[in-house]
Amino acid sequence: MIVYKKYFFLFLISLSFACQQKEGGARLIPLDDFFKSQEKITYRVSPDGLNISYLKQEDSALNLYVEDIASGKTRKLTNLKDKNVFFYFWVSNNDLIYYKEIDPAKRRSDAFIINKEGANERQLSRNEQGKMRVLEDQLIDDKFLLVSSNKRDSTVFDVYRLNVRNGAMDMAAKNPGNIIDWKTDSEGKLRLAVSTDGGTTTMLYRAQEGQVFKPIMTNNLITTFKPVAFKHDRPNIIYAISSVNRDKSALVEVDCNTGKELKVLFGNDTLNITEAQYSRKKQKMSFLTYETWKKEKHYLDDSIKIIYDDLDRLLPKTETQILSRDKAENVFVIRTFTDRNPGSYYLYFADKRKLRKLSDFNSAIREGEMSEMKAVSFTSRDGLKINGYLTLPLHVRATHLPVVVLPHDGTASRDLWGYNAEVQFLANRGYVVFQINYRGSSGYGKNFMSAGFKEWGGKIQNDINDGVAWLIEKKIADPKRIGIYGTGFGGNIALNSSYLNPGIYACAASNSGVINLFAYLKSIPPYLKTSLQFYYGIVGNPLTDADQMRKSSPLFQTEKINIPLFVCQNVKDQNTNAGETLQFVKNLKKRNVKVTYLENEGILFLAKNQESRHQFYTALEQFLETNLKNR
Amino acid sequence: MISEKKTGYRKNFSLILTFIVLMSVLFCLSLYLAYNFSKKYIENEFVSEKVNVLEQSIKPYNDFFQKKLPEVSYYNGYLDSATAASFVDTVLLEYPFVSKVVFYDSEVKNTPVSDGLNTGKFSFGPKDIYQFGSLIPQDSVLLFSRENTRNFIVGDDFNTLALKLASYIESLDTTKVPDQDELFSNFSNVRSNKITYLNIPRMEELKVYKQMLRNVLDPQPVYQQDMMCFHLDPYKIKIINSRPLLYQFIKIQPSTYDPLDTSQAYLSTEITLPGAFSDYKLYFISSKSFVDKEIRSYFLPIAMAILVFYGIVVLVAFLIYRNLNINQRMFKLQYDFVNNLTHEFKTPVSVIKIAGNNIKSATVLTDRELKLYGKILDEEADKLNGLMNKLLAFTQIENKAIQLNRDEIYIEDFIESTVESHRLKHPDFDFTFEVSGFSTFVTDPVLLGSLFDNLAENAYKYSPPERKKLHISARLIKGRVVFRFTDHGIGIPSSEINNIFKKFFRIQNQYNQNGSVGLGLAFCKELVNFMKGEITVKSKVNKGTEFKIVLPYND
Repeated sequence: MIVYKKYFFLFLISLSFACQQKEGGARLIPLDDFFKSQEKITYRVSPDGLNISYLKQEDSALNLYVEDIASGKTRKLTNLKDKNVFFYFWVSNNDLIYYKEIDPAKRRSDAFIINKEGANERQLSRNEQGKMRVLEDQLIDDKFLLVSSNKRDSTVFDVYRLNVRNGAMDMAAKNPGNIIDWKTDSEGKLRLAVSTDGGTTTMLYRAQEGQVFKPIMTNNLITTFKPVAFKHDRPNIIYAISSVNRDKSALVEVDCNTGKELKVLFGNDTLNITEAQYSRKKQKMSFLTYETWKKEKHYLDDSIKIIYDDLDRLLPKTETQILSRDKAENVFVIRTFTDRNPGSYYLYFADKRKLRKLSDFNSAIREGEMSEMKAVSFTSRDGLKINGYLTLPLHVRATHLPVVVLPHDGTASRDLWGYNAEVQFLANRGYVVFQINYRGSSGYGKNFMSAGFKEWGGKIQNDINDGVAWLIEKKIADPKRIGIYGTGFGGNIALNSSYLNPGIYACAASNSGVINLFAYLKSIPPYLKTSLQFYYGIVGNPLTDADQMRKSSPLFQTEKINIPLFVCQNVKDQNTNAGETLQFVKNLKKRNVKVTYLENEGILFLAKNQESRHQFYTALEQFLETNLKNR
Repeated sequence: MISEKKTGYRKNFSLILTFIVLMSVLFCLSLYLAYNFSKKYIENEFVSEKVNVLEQSIKPYNDFFQKKLPEVSYYNGYLDSATAASFVDTVLLEYPFVSKVVFYDSEVKNTPVSDGLNTGKFSFGPKDIYQFGSLIPQDSVLLFSRENTRNFIVGDDFNTLALKLASYIESLDTTKVPDQDELFSNFSNVRSNKITYLNIPRMEELKVYKQMLRNVLDPQPVYQQDMMCFHLDPYKIKIINSRPLLYQFIKIQPSTYDPLDTSQAYLSTEITLPGAFSDYKLYFISSKSFVDKEIRSYFLPIAMAILVFYGIVVLVAFLIYRNLNINQRMFKLQYDFVNNLTHEFKTPVSVIKIAGNNIKSATVLTDRELKLYGKILDEEADKLNGLMNKLLAFTQIENKAIQLNRDEIYIEDFIESTVESHRLKHPDFDFTFEVSGFSTFVTDPVLLGSLFDNLAENAYKYSPPERKKLHISARLIKGRVVFRFTDHGIGIPSSEINNIFKKFFRIQNQYNQNGSVGLGLAFCKELVNFMKGEITVKSKVNKGTEFKIVLPYND
């Protein structure tokens, strides 16, 4: 009896401990739940709206499936093991083209065509023949596909007419060496090309296919000019998203004969248009997407507005996005999301105004357990308004909390409102997550973007620090427990913080961070040669800006780093020099700096590498726990 | 000391002496061994410590080799003369043994070069060659350019490493990723006083280089490669003498250096420098007297430790000897006591015996005789009884076997009765007393009486017949009762004053030839202690003695 009492007592004790853990915070969600890979992705509707296709995760392979919408019968088209279907699309009511992955790190793949019954599979391109990009995803004359390929010269893409029936390729246009993009009109005629000399881009236009291309306008690299579609009734006029002569992009009509802008369809000084959708069926612009603190839509066509209004009615308080549609614009694949919900895929029938749920993006995530992502802004020391997002952990008082500053990767990109697994994971672990769209980020106009050029370790760093100061002033942040973590260029910012701003950050973590700007420039592959000048502009010219580049390359600065670091690198990544990161870590260890070093084979492809992702986030969690939360 | 032999008590000086002598021999022997050990140890140190000196002195070189050299690669071929110059400046500043740096700003391409290496379709040649160093004048920094090719020397450092690169690329296995050490050794060349280093390109570039060996690529690629040749001066290595007391001089000498004049007066050793300095060695030399100093400084603490140990042993020996001495004196005192006691007991016993014999042998005894013998027997028996009581009481008090009684006494009456009893015994005893400050006093009357009796008895005993006087004063001072017994007796010599309260101690003189056991004052002291008081004495020889007793006043 006494023994039982003892055990009961022990049980009570353990119970009380178990309860204590839950107090003062949200439930600790297993980390794998955040990063679960989806079972089915890349839904697409066939042009006739009768079939729906998707890629399904099977062990370590992604295979292509087609489902008959009416009967629900599914057919597996590919039978890959250990390989992924990299990309696919419908080319007709019956045929699909898919890319089979050969080398994921180099994004190499072979292209195949297959019909929806899974028969008639033919190889269209081989990896040795270079990369192949599809310019126009609809078949011309039911057998030709307009593609661009670098099979003649790995550094330039020519345009070919690919006969999908026999795989024959005829050159449609030869690239003189500087064309980086081609554009077709509604009949699939190649009438617009974009060339570059490294520093500027030039629009080339021809009225007929037989004519020669004539330059119509030249822009520098930070100016956006994105042709959307040719106007149906006026073949010399194009719709384009343009920031020519303005700070933020607007949707405009341009006369290709003169290169002059005719009128602004939509746009103003406060918002930046990123996408515009042209309806082939209605032969007019349907809507455009612009970014403020989140993506929003502006409708240019009432019929599409009706669809979205109906979606808002069916799925209230949810962001919706059309991923695919049929030719008749009746059957749509919809993706929904919010900041606290990774969302689901739906099939929407416009005529019946009905939704059919396809699958969840991540069924393990419960909306109630996720944190709200709030748009915030502050003023930098030189008076620039900097925007960002703040995610607070649930169920705790928002004072004196540990903070993880999360600068986004890359040049010309930004953080956007929406569900972000990494952010939610960190918030669930009790950290305030602070994302900052530092200068140089896209979406806030040309001036804001160019303000960040060559400012790595300079004004960009100031923006991050000013954000931290603002957060401390708001009493949300515990000034002793501020960490910084980023991927790629975000990792560069994080590591730069460790020596440029000693005292502000308790620790810094980097995942595949850019530790050497010189090596980063080297990593721009040969076929991206045209963008090299552009990157010189953003990152710095290795010959004239060497001092500044050295200052903002952590590899050169190991003598000054004293805070605990977390360094993870992808050893399979051919674009970085694995030896440099090793040398970096070695030099730090020699100085007895606390470094957690992790190697993995890349977590870029969510479907694979579940294990290395788990390992990475476990290590990161542990690192932050000891060096930030419990400091 | 005849008695000592008899009792088996012995004092063996020769034993102690032998002990001291043996200890001293041991002491000397250990000093000798310690010195020899120190000497051997330091001589070994002289040979073995050079590794530490080498390690510390060569640390900047290793640092340079492992940390600074790879920094050339960090620039990924983007070094130009200005950046290279600033890089070299940091190198020259941080590593003084680098005397000159030659920088080959070079290119890998498919078009053959006139200066450099052409193998297959792969060409590797410098665009410009610069030299940097603290002693190089501004106008000779640029050694070579495409316009001015005269300073390119075939077979120099550039071509050596270029050949190494070419053969490495030739044998490169493009399917696997080479490890860092393999790359490092293939992109660097370490020769005497010279390190040539070529920036290590990424794997992607190496693959292209391999293609370029066989094919002319279209468009013709041009890859930037930076080669740096560091000229080193071994004599500029900063020697860190971690043992300045061991090595008098440390010099850098060519490996072949072997002076003839190294006489017996010098100790020397050497160690070869690593890497690019392998033609040189560190040469250590110290004079014998210099090393001796180090030996002594090593030996000294050991000697001190031995000395301290020896000192302690000698001290212990001395203490043992002293204890033995004291014990011997104690033994003598007790022996005397037994003698005295025997004597003391003998007198009454012999008197009783004589009286007994007289009674036995006498045929008739007159009434007077009978009374006399009765009185004698009674008195002598009382004496014996008194002696035994005293001995017993003393032992009891000493062992704290009795209880302290607390009775209130009238002090004047108490002194009066004491005086009375002594006057009865010794009619010639002149007694005076005074009392002030109090009249009653709570104490044990028996013990106090015993104290008074003893002190009065002593005063009578140790006074010459014409000065048998005693003055007793009793005062209450600061809450304590103070008794003073002042006599005009023979006094106590100051040399003995500390011993008088010891058991069995007697000053040998005419006054205590009989009837004294040397217990009286020891008994008094025990009594006062027992009553929680103090007893002190002041005395002048032939003038008199004053005993002062301080007792707590319990009202």
